[in-house]
Amino acid sequence: MAAVKETVAAVADLEKYQHGFVTDIEQDFAPKGLSTDIVRFISAKKNEPEWMLAWRLEAYERWLALEEPDWAKVNYPKIDYQDSYYYAAPSRKAGPMSLDEVDPDILETYKKLGIPLREQEVLAGVQGAPRYAVDAVFDSVSVVTTFKKELAAVGVIFCPISEAIREHPELVRKYLGSVVPVSDNYFACLNSAVFSDGSFVYIPPGVRCPMELSTYFRINAKDSGQFERTLIIADKGSYCSYLEGCTAPMRDENQLHAAVVELVILEDAEIKYSTVQNWYPGDPVTGKGGIYNFVTKRADCREARAKVSWTQVETGSAITWKYPSCVLRGDGSSGEFYSIAVTNGHQQADTGTKMIHLGANTKSRIISKGISAGKSSNTYRGLVSAHPKAVGSRNFTQCDSLLIGKDCAAHTVPYIEARNGQSVFEHEATTTRLSDDQLFYCQQRGLDTESAVALLVNGFVREVLQELPMEFAVEAQKLVAISLEGSVG
Amino acid sequence: MTLATAIATGDLTQLPSRRDEDWRWTDLRGLIRVLPAASPAFDGDVGAGPFAADETVTIVNGHGPAAIAIPAGEARTVALRVVAATDGTAHAARLSVTLGQGARLTLLESHEGRAASYLTQTDLDVSLGEDAALERIVLVADHAEAVTIVDAAVTLAAGASFDQTILTAGARRQRIETRVSHPGQGAAVRLDGAYLLRDQRHADLTTVVTHAGRDGTTSQLTKGVVRDQARGVFQGRIVVERGADGTEARMGHHALILSDRAEVDAKPELLIFTDDVQCAHGNTVGALDEAAIFYARQRGMPEDVARAMLTEAFVGEVVERIEHEGAREIARAWVSQQLGAGE
Repeated sequence: MAAVKETVAAVADLEKYQHGFVTDIEQDFAPKGLSTDIVRFISAKKNEPEWMLAWRLEAYERWLALEEPDWAKVNYPKIDYQDSYYYAAPSRKAGPMSLDEVDPDILETYKKLGIPLREQEVLAGVQGAPRYAVDAVFDSVSVVTTFKKELAAVGVIFCPISEAIREHPELVRKYLGSVVPVSDNYFACLNSAVFSDGSFVYIPPGVRCPMELSTYFRINAKDSGQFERTLIIADKGSYCSYLEGCTAPMRDENQLHAAVVELVILEDAEIKYSTVQNWYPGDPVTGKGGIYNFVTKRADCREARAKVSWTQVETGSAITWKYPSCVLRGDGSSGEFYSIAVTNGHQQADTGTKMIHLGANTKSRIISKGISAGKSSNTYRGLVSAHPKAVGSRNFTQCDSLLIGKDCAAHTVPYIEARNGQSVFEHEATTTRLSDDQLFYCQQRGLDTESAVALLVNGFVREVLQELPMEFAVEAQKLVAISLEGSVG
Repeated sequence: MTLATAIATGDLTQLPSRRDEDWRWTDLRGLIRVLPAASPAFDGDVGAGPFAADETVTIVNGHGPAAIAIPAGEARTVALRVVAATDGTAHAARLSVTLGQGARLTLLESHEGRAASYLTQTDLDVSLGEDAALERIVLVADHAEAVTIVDAAVTLAAGASFDQTILTAGARRQRIETRVSHPGQGAAVRLDGAYLLRDQRHADLTTVVTHAGRDGTTSQLTKGVVRDQARGVFQGRIVVERGADGTEARMGHHALILSDRAEVDAKPELLIFTDDVQCAHGNTVGALDEAAIFYARQRGMPEDVARAMLTEAFVGEVVERIEHEGAREIARAWVSQQLGAGE
C-alpha cells in the first residue's frame, strides 16, 4: 500500500507548471540574430583560445550549407534563426567565483526550483542523505559549480565547459566533437557554432565518482535560445552517475533549446546518465509557447566492456526531438535506454534511441514507455543495427504506448538492421488505452479518477522509474502525475 | 515515382532511391543506370504454371487481360500467371480485380521469370464489395538477375475479408507491396508472407494497412530465411485513423539469418490516432536456436537434418495459415524445395 499512499500524496500536490516564473535580473545580451560576428562575440565572451573560435566558425560555415530536417513526426512553424538571442548572461558576473558572489536573485531562483547550491545545505540534511554536486547553467552561462574541491581531491574534473576549454584544452581538443561530429545534423551543427556553456566531466582511470554529478539548466531570458554542450569522459575502469534537469518560464513565444551531449566511455568504464526534462510545455489549451527541444545525445563505448545507461523522463517541451544513442564499438560493451515520454495538451514528442552494434558480443536493451493524452502526439523512433563484425550481439526492445483520450496519437517507428548471422534481436511493442476495468477497480476502492490514472500510469512506467537514482525517481513520479493532470474526464 | 512510370517515360529520375524513406533498403535508382527496351509481345509457349485451376488468366510481357470481375454471390478459383518471357527488356502491367457483394475468390497468383535480367512492375487494383472474400496466394519465382515490383492496392467494403500469403525467393532487387484500405465494420485482413533467400538475392515485403472505421481486425505474420549474401526487407505499417475505435491489429515478423554475410532489415510501424485500440507488433531476428539443434542431435538426428527440420518448421507456420488446401500443399512443397536447394 505504500505505493498507493505515495501516489495519492503526489497527486494531492498537483499544481500546474510550477517552474514557469521569470527571474527579473539584469542580463547581457548579444545582439539578436546569427552571423560570424555573433560566433566571434560568444567566443570572445568566453575568453576562448584561437582553435576554439576556428572550430566554431567552421561549424557555422557548415551549418549554413545544411537544411533543417523535416522527417520527424512533429509540426511547427518555420523557425526564424535571426530572431533570437544566442547569448544571454546575467551581468555582474566575471569569471569563476564563490557562491557568495552569485547574484542573490539567481540563488533565489534555484532555491525556488529546489536545487541545492549551498554545499552546507546539502550537508545539513539527515545523516547519510545522498549528496550531489551541481553545475547550474543559467541561460548562456554556468553560474556556479558545487563540490569542485571535494571532487578534485579524487581527480575528478567537474566544471563548466567554458572553463575546461581554457584549463584542460588537451582533453577538450581530444574529445570534443569526437562522438557527435560538427556536421552530424542540423541542430548539432548549430550548437557547435554557438554553444555557450554546459558541463565538462573527466573521471580518471579506476575512480568511482564519490557523488552524483548533476547539471541544472534554466532558460530565463526572453527570445533567447539555449545551446549547451556537455562532454563527459569516463577513463578506464571508472564510474559516474550524472543527472540533468531543466525548466523554463512560461512564455507565449517558442524558444529553442538545441543541446549536444557527448559521452566517451573507455575500457571497463560506466556512465549512467539520467535526464528529467521539464521545459515549459506551452499552454495546455491553446498550445501557445513552450520550448523546442532539439537535442543530440550520443555515447561512444569506445573500448572493451564499456557500459552506458541512458534514462530519461520527458514531460516538458512543446516539441521534443531527441534520440540518445549508443555506439557500441568496444567488444563486450553494452548500452541501455530507459525512457518515459509523457505528452499532454498540444505537446509533440518524437524520441527514441539508436543502438549501433559494431563490436563483438555487444548488448543493448531498450525500454520505452510513451503516454499520450489531450491533443498530443508521441512517437517512438529507434534504430538497432548490427554490423558484420558484431557477432554475438544481442538486443531486446520493448516499447509500449498508452493512450488517454480520443484526440491523442501514439506512433512506433522502429528500424532494425541485422548484418550478421550470430546476433539476436528481439523487439516488441504494444499500444493500448488505459483499461476501463482497472480504472473502475481503483475508483471502486475510493480513488478519484485522477488519482486512479496517476496510479495506473505509475504502474505502467515503473520499469523505467526503477532505473532513476532514488531522489529523482520520486520527483519523476510526481512529474508524470502532474503532466497528466486534467487528461481524463 | 515508380518503376512503372520510369518504364513508361524513360525517365530514370522517376525511380525511387534510398533517399526516399520508404525505399531506403530497396534502392532502384542506384541500381538501374539504363532503362532497357520495352518488352515485345510474346506468343510462344510459356509452359505450365505452378497452380492448377478451372480458370487461368495469363499476362505475358505485360500483355493480357486487364480485369478479373466476380459477380455478386459467385464463388470462383482463378489462377493468375504473370510471365516475363524476354531477356533484358522492361514492361509494366495493370490488372483490376473486382468482387461483387458476397462474392468469393481464391486467386492463385504466380510470377514466373522465364528469362533473365528483365524489369517489370505489376500493379493490381483490388476492390472487394460488402461481405466479399478474397484469398490471394502469391508465388514469386523471379530470375536471379531480374528487378521486379508487384504492387497491390486493396479496398475493402464492410464485412469483407482479405487473406493474403506471399511466398518469394527474391530477385536481384524485388519489392512486393500491399496497401489495404480497411473500413473496419467487421472487415478482416490477414497478410502473411515468407521470403526464402540465398546467393545475392533481395526481397522486400512491404505492407500498409489503414484502418478508417470501427471494429476492424488485422493479423500479420511474415517469416524470412536468408543465407549467403542475401538481403531480406520487411516494412509493415498499420495506421489507425481517428474514429477507428475497436481496432485489433497484430503484426509479427521473424527472420533467421543463416550466414555471416546475409542481412535482414525490418521496420514494423504502428501509427495510432485514437485510443480504443489493441495493437501490437513483434519482431525477432537471429540464428537457429542452438539448444534445439543440440536436442535433436542428442536424439540421433544428423545436424544438417536437424537444421533443415527446424528451419522448415519455422516457415511452416505461415504455410499452415493458407486456407486453400491445394495451394497449401504447393506452398509446402515450394518451401521444402527452396530450403533444400543447394544443400
